[in-house]
Amino acid sequence: MTVLIRALLSVVLIGLPVAATAHHLGSYTPRDNEISTNFKQLKFAIQAGRFDVAQRLFESGAVRKEMLATAPRLPPGLEGEVGASLRERQGTAAERGLVIFFAALTRDLALEAERQVRDVSVPAEVRAAAGRKFLEAIWRYYNLVDFAISQYDPKAAVAVRLAFDEAEGLAKGAATPVAANPCSGPRPATRGAEVQNPERLRPPLARIAQALGAVVDSTTVRRPP
Amino acid sequence: MREPRGAPEAARTWQFPPPWVLLVAIVLIICAEVGGASMVRFKVELARWARNTMLARPAVHGLVGVRDVDEQILDEALVKFDAGLRLFHLHAEGMGLVIIVTTTVAATLAAPGPARGVLVALLTVGGAGYPLGYLLWSGLIPVVGLERGKAIAEWLAWIPFGGTTILALWWLVIIVARRLGR
Repeated sequence: MTVLIRALLSVVLIGLPVAATAHHLGSYTPRDNEISTNFKQLKFAIQAGRFDVAQRLFESGAVRKEMLATAPRLPPGLEGEVGASLRERQGTAAERGLVIFFAALTRDLALEAERQVRDVSVPAEVRAAAGRKFLEAIWRYYNLVDFAISQYDPKAAVAVRLAFDEAEGLAKGAATPVAANPCSGPRPATRGAEVQNPERLRPPLARIAQALGAVVDSTTVRRPP
Repeated sequence: MREPRGAPEAARTWQFPPPWVLLVAIVLIICAEVGGASMVRFKVELARWARNTMLARPAVHGLVGVRDVDEQILDEALVKFDAGLRLFHLHAEGMGLVIIVTTTVAATLAAPGPARGVLVALLTVGGAGYPLGYLLWSGLIPVVGLERGKAIAEWLAWIPFGGTTILALWWLVIIVARRLGR
């Protein structure tokens, strides 16, 4: 018994230093914001055919609030069209309106990102870091509507993915990981390489904005008369 | 525990570490409990302070002035701020017990003399200082940012105190192994 206790004590004492070297600092998983949460709730309610629920979620939710706040940058009457589609139980039209809204949000982010990375009054490393953060935000929103846009406008979807892939590749040289793009597949690591010139992010960001701008401008919410 | 016949009485029982060591360990555990309780009681106030401090230092945190981007940056920092407090609570509780156990083993198995005093001191100081690194990190996040806060906490607390604890534990392992080898 004594030998057993001593052996156990030895194992514990040998194991402790190993555990002590592996101090961890917790991990962070990006969460949905109130807009993406509300969008998902709406989408599931529409898919389930619960238009009464979807209408309530839309009327009181963050998506409508944001639609009203950003109305000047959206197709005219988009908020009213989505609300009317939900009242008339037209799921496809409502979903299409939401897709346009998220395409517009993503386009605005890409435009702002492009503006910030070309602002030479800001140090290059700060612009590069901002570019990475913008890419993460762009993907978080675009990811919500990627499948729908690839159905409505496959060319635009491919253009956005390619441009995002390029921008992500340029940003990936930095130490912090950027948004995981499931379309890009495994990429050889370029750890240690820095983004020498953040302005290199401009062309892909401009292409993202252009492609999504075309989706917003060319797509109208079609409702039967 | 059974000892060989003729062993002195003192060698057959566990020896307490010095009272100051027990005091340090108990104070550390009390700090852990108070920290944990404060986290719950002042959750909103702490989060508000951290958020306002970060908003006052946009350059430190890489805020770009766009809500959709900045909210995620602030959210990550707040999650890590909370995680630091939780890890302090967790480690202070655990290391308090580790100090009591390891110094008791050292006091019992290490030969009397200055070396034993040094070993007990290393186990105590290392064990008590290491969890404070998490508290320091958490407090630094809103002020100097995630990575810089981590670097400061590493050099001021985790590496020196964690290293001290690791060295002292290996020393204790050698002592225990020698005792077993006799």
